[in-house]
Amino acid sequence: MNYEVVMGLEVHVELATQSKLFCACSAKYGADANESVCPACAGMPGMPAVTNKRAVALGIAAGIVTNSQIARVMTFDKKSYFYPDLPAGYQITQYAAPVCTNGWVEIETEAGTKRITLKQIHIEEDAGKLVHDNRTGTTLVDFNRTSVPLVEIVSNPDFRSAEEVVAYLEKLRALLRAAGVSDCKMEEGSLRCDVNISVRPAGQQSFGVRTEMKNMSSLKAIVAAIAFESERHIDALETGSEVLIQETRRWDDNKGETFSMREKENATDYRYFPNPELMPIVISDEWIEEVRAALPELPHEKYERMTAELGLPDRDSRIVTGSKNLSDIFDGTLAHYDKPREVVNWILGDMLSAAKGINMGEGDIVLDCQKFARVIELADSQAINRNVAKKLLGLVLADGIDPDAYVKEHGLGMVGDTGAIEAAVKEAVAENPKSAGEYKGGNQKVLGFFVGKVMRKLGGKADPKLVGRLLRDHLDKQ
Amino acid sequence: MDSYLRPGGDAVALEDSIMQKGQPVTAGSKMLENFISPLDATVVERLRGQGVAIVGRARMTEFGVARISGDRPEGISGAVDAVADGSARWALCNDVFGINRRLAAQNGVCYIHPTYGTVSRYGLVHLASSMDQIGVVCRNAEDGFALLGRIAGKDANDGAMFPEARYDYASTGKDITVGLPEAVIGRAGTAQKAALREFAGRFRGAAVQIPLFPLVKQVMYILASAEISSNLTRYDGIKFGYQAPRYRSLKELYTNTRTEAFGLDAKLAAIMGTMFLSQGYYTRYYDKAMRLRRLVKESLTFAGYDVLALPCAIGDDPYENLSLYALAPLAGLPSLVFPQQRQGIQLIAAARNENALLTAWKSATKSATKG
Repeated sequence: MNYEVVMGLEVHVELATQSKLFCACSAKYGADANESVCPACAGMPGMPAVTNKRAVALGIAAGIVTNSQIARVMTFDKKSYFYPDLPAGYQITQYAAPVCTNGWVEIETEAGTKRITLKQIHIEEDAGKLVHDNRTGTTLVDFNRTSVPLVEIVSNPDFRSAEEVVAYLEKLRALLRAAGVSDCKMEEGSLRCDVNISVRPAGQQSFGVRTEMKNMSSLKAIVAAIAFESERHIDALETGSEVLIQETRRWDDNKGETFSMREKENATDYRYFPNPELMPIVISDEWIEEVRAALPELPHEKYERMTAELGLPDRDSRIVTGSKNLSDIFDGTLAHYDKPREVVNWILGDMLSAAKGINMGEGDIVLDCQKFARVIELADSQAINRNVAKKLLGLVLADGIDPDAYVKEHGLGMVGDTGAIEAAVKEAVAENPKSAGEYKGGNQKVLGFFVGKVMRKLGGKADPKLVGRLLRDHLDKQ
Repeated sequence: MDSYLRPGGDAVALEDSIMQKGQPVTAGSKMLENFISPLDATVVERLRGQGVAIVGRARMTEFGVARISGDRPEGISGAVDAVADGSARWALCNDVFGINRRLAAQNGVCYIHPTYGTVSRYGLVHLASSMDQIGVVCRNAEDGFALLGRIAGKDANDGAMFPEARYDYASTGKDITVGLPEAVIGRAGTAQKAALREFAGRFRGAAVQIPLFPLVKQVMYILASAEISSNLTRYDGIKFGYQAPRYRSLKELYTNTRTEAFGLDAKLAAIMGTMFLSQGYYTRYYDKAMRLRRLVKESLTFAGYDVLALPCAIGDDPYENLSLYALAPLAGLPSLVFPQQRQGIQLIAAARNENALLTAWKSATKSATKG
């Protein structure tokens, strides 16, 4: 029998604010344990919550880039449960009136484009972190992450394959990064994803039993977890080996399997209710427009510009706009050298391979775009030849050298003086009479041999095409 | 004003729910018996900044949760005692259930409950967040409003405040029309009624209906206990406050800590509030109470009258009397309790119209001294 896998995603994204959601503590990742804590986020009595407006603005931005409806009035609710990582005994989140609803994100897969629809986006505070010390058998709490602002992006059950899930997460990450909503680093936990999965016989309308998977910390883990869990579901349906129950399961990356988090099975009553200490927040059209105006060009808008306006190839435009860093380098370089096609070719060709050569990942590349533009310009204007240009690019990337100064200092400028080239041509031909004879006898391939000889004499600083033309002239005259 | 001064009494007493850096703040609970304030409440900072001395800390009913069952009202107010016995000129405290206002009325002192969102609650131990508001116990209302003017005004550390940076409270000298809810007044005792009649006799009066008055106590109890249950979840024995000495699991740590350190009324409010917010009860109780709260608020129109006059007691049942004291905090309105013929009278005005309260009080006391 054929089965269809149905999935919905809950993606938690930490917002790129300076401070926490309801107090002035730093929201930065990586501080020493309990460094970024104050009486308010430690849940002490007497500390009223004060909403970080920047976090709300980033929530609105997340809504704009996902084509969501932005709420006119949003409210915060309290979600209550006792746990040591939750100092106040409640989490402030959005339940009744979230900041965004009914959005969508378009994804591309082998099968074509598809719209993933979003149920809602809500703003909430993160919980602290428990650190278990197995050696002493104790558990310590780090409240640095407590009250760091998040958005949770809840999709509808629109996914049918792991490929779609990955395409969505990559697209979402590109959108949110481009909009400055979050740095979306899975390894630092600033993007976390829970997958709701069920399986049903192909053609069946109703959904199967749903399980929720947590704790996947990379795209690879998500793909593996989906494969494991969908197979477990299918096995259960086919063989009756186990009875599927609606539950939350944790992914064990080492074992490569999911396991039941049994302690959470007795359904907690979170007692959601409107937070009585926070006023409803009115989101005016002006505010939304202000956020929209401050957004940088988004990947799909840039893609449009690159393909339609600048006439760049579809594939190249897709690669550039798929990475915030490449996208920025493209714009930065174009600002200094307005030849889009050359700039893209250099970025995707020599620049990426030079970066790879010094072990720089695509996202880590730090490049002075003005200097990069100058290298391309020098090469295009034949002031230096392509090999020299590649070398210069490597040095700009690694050491930030000034291309013009370097060319001058090392005498790398192209030999444009035809007299000097002709002299070298004559010398080379005179030194290799045998080869010259072969050329005369009709063997055109020998020309390449001569070009190499002449280039060596000129220290590689001549235009090979010009050398070839002068060689041919000289040999034909003989 | 000098007649109000006693030796050592020209200063403010703080209820034990208002934080003073380095001082214990217990909110009257064993749960916080060893809790030291990490900071100064905004009101304390403002008083200090203006050279107003703080004379000491006043004991209070645990967290300010009233006992609403039983034959007699219970509860203590060191804030009212301090002003009544002359050891302080003013006292600051929070009063959601009316414990402080009732005791002020019984002890012949005034209580000013300002408009919700005009005095910062930064550094005030939470009770019921949508109603918490620092008020002033004072010997006369004019003196009390003078102090209120020094502590009121927007504070960036409290997210639910009006934008005004400061308030100057003054009598407008204009004629006041007093709204008289006869159905409520009719339930008061003879002495109360007489005091109200004498007060109202000095003003133009207007009949007022508060159709939902009989439900106000229930609305109050449901909403306040729901909010209290949530605000008390922070006391779990993990980070601060009392921690049970014996426990075998996390759950036992929570249970033992809260069992051993909360008193009966706090426990009752936490349990009832938790129930009102639980699935199945939320719609029946909490949500309904929220809707009623809005209707009650909307019924207090102040159209055709400036202040609403109410007795301070309608019989002895503390639950029935809760309706009287719940109106102002539920609707976020300012109120003034002051003595009249050895009885307490409560006035309520429209939001941020404290001046109407002061004006009414002034003309009432002026004519009283004349007469």
